[in-house]
Amino acid sequence: MENEAVITMKSLCKFYEMGDQVVHALDAINLDFERNDYAAIMGPSGSGKSTLMNIIGCLDTPTSGSYELNHQSVAEMDDDELARIRNKEIGFVFQTFNLLPRLNCLRNVELPLIYAGVPPEERLQRAEEALIKVGLKERMTHKPAELSGGQIQRVAIARALINKPSIILADEPTGNLDTATSHDIMDIFGALSNAGNTIILITHEEDIARYTRRIIRLRDGKIESDNRQ
Amino acid sequence: MKPAYQQFRYESLESLKMALFQIRANKIRSFLTALGVIIGIVAITMMGTAINGIDLGFEKSLAMLGYDVIYVQKSSWSTMGQWWLYRNRPDLKTEYAERLNRIIASTPNSQLLIAVPQISTYQASAKYRERLIEQAFALGTNHEYLQTASGNLSAGRFFTPTESAASEMVAVIGDDIASGLFPSEPALGQSIQLKNSKLRIIGIFKKQGKFLGLFSFDNQIIMPLGAFEKVYGKKMFITMRVKIRDQARVMEAKEELLGMMRRIRRIPPGKEEDFSINEQQAFKSQLDPIKNGIAVAGIFITGMSLFVGAIGIMNITFVSVKERTREIGLRKALGARRRTILLQFLIESIMICLIGGVVGLATALTITFAIGQIMPDFPIQFSLNLIMASLVVSVLTGIISGLAPAVTASKLDPADSLRYE
Repeated sequence: MENEAVITMKSLCKFYEMGDQVVHALDAINLDFERNDYAAIMGPSGSGKSTLMNIIGCLDTPTSGSYELNHQSVAEMDDDELARIRNKEIGFVFQTFNLLPRLNCLRNVELPLIYAGVPPEERLQRAEEALIKVGLKERMTHKPAELSGGQIQRVAIARALINKPSIILADEPTGNLDTATSHDIMDIFGALSNAGNTIILITHEEDIARYTRRIIRLRDGKIESDNRQ
Repeated sequence: MKPAYQQFRYESLESLKMALFQIRANKIRSFLTALGVIIGIVAITMMGTAINGIDLGFEKSLAMLGYDVIYVQKSSWSTMGQWWLYRNRPDLKTEYAERLNRIIASTPNSQLLIAVPQISTYQASAKYRERLIEQAFALGTNHEYLQTASGNLSAGRFFTPTESAASEMVAVIGDDIASGLFPSEPALGQSIQLKNSKLRIIGIFKKQGKFLGLFSFDNQIIMPLGAFEKVYGKKMFITMRVKIRDQARVMEAKEELLGMMRRIRRIPPGKEEDFSINEQQAFKSQLDPIKNGIAVAGIFITGMSLFVGAIGIMNITFVSVKERTREIGLRKALGARRRTILLQFLIESIMICLIGGVVGLATALTITFAIGQIMPDFPIQFSLNLIMASLVVSVLTGIISGLAPAVTASKLDPADSLRYE
């Protein structure tokens, strides 16, 4: 099981039309991620890392090429199938946290389970477990406004974990946090990786990327380097 | 199928909770949004109440007239207002009643039972000492009148055949006359003055209420024919009240009466009659266009206010979609499908409209109740159908006004929405 590919991308392209100009946001990308990979995708702005992250996260589909997630070909899926994949296979962590301010931590964390059709009692139980896992046992019924940035991001991580996804996709997860908190968050990711999760980070900070075991650098829509540490 | 249903149920429940959250979080905005629906629903229910009320009042009034009495008169009720059609007709005579009764008696299996003469004026004024009642309804008839009229006496008696034949100056009066002229003393046995004549009160009718909320039977002054003619002369409005055997066969009875009257008036066959036979049905056919007019106007006004309300809700929902673009993006990232998002915004606008509808209904009920308190005679009827219709209309308004913004929301690109500032 060690080397089983969770994600396989072959000659993946994404073009945007800007006026009469075609922008090659991703240009023939070949990339695999294995189970329990812990990778960082880096690159300057405009390098295509956001586009790649959207495609990995099934928020967008490629113009051409193939993308297989857990042996399911995502490239041809319609909106509803993509929604199901996002719900079941991917746990998102965002730079801006994206918690719903009106809901308390438990209700925020259980959100993906509602869309998965899980009964209320089970939702609550699993949300509690996820919050305990990220060290927020005491804050479960607080609303986001009553929490610090680091705590908010931990709630978001708990939400990403709750549906036991194939990959956790974190887009600049420490971008809005101070250094000390950033390292706390990275420790959580480290622990999750040690527990067997597959994690892909997007970041432009070298010291954050250094927490991972693999650094992929993008430039102009192409892979510049792909180093395992 | 079961998991899909379960998922739908959880999603709907979540959407409902979110909708209520949203409405509570923006109370003033929600109220202003719902105002259009509130006004629309008040308009609907008031209109429906009015129409129901007219129906009910009408039924009551018809019962007051008596279902089994038809009237021979100079003019027809169904073309009321067109007096020029009847101006040249010869007046009826009170003697016809007697002749009708003779014909009825000699006709086997007649559908008619009895004819009673009536001569009347709406412009009587009655005086007792310094007290005066104007616009009373004075009516001369014979002792058989009560067989063709509704209403019971609360005191005294009706006049006897002898009093009737002798044209005694006696009167049976309606409740309003009695209480108006004799507020603190018994009216029975007192004498009231009509023009220059004095009539002794021998009976008082129980209160009957108003006919269509307008014309009252409680301001009648009923006296023997001869007494009436002594006071007002013979040139007053004459009616033959004819009681029929079976109200289900009113058309037959009318035909029979028509034939008898033609005989009495000596109208040759083929010539149009110069009198009219009226029954309550004529009122109904008069009222129907009015009722329909009110209904059409009501639907139009209601439709306009609901339309304006719906546009308001649509507008607010569009704003709400715009404001919550990131939330929509997030929900999609977490696995919400298009129809989940669609449902969420649709439920929100339906909830606003439904709450508006309930508030509107409560307002209309309050208004109805208040009108009932102020004007007890005004016919009003609030029905369960009306409540159901209002709620259905509210929900429909919610769906219609919420659909376009909800579809817009459901089609938002998740990646773009997540980055929306």
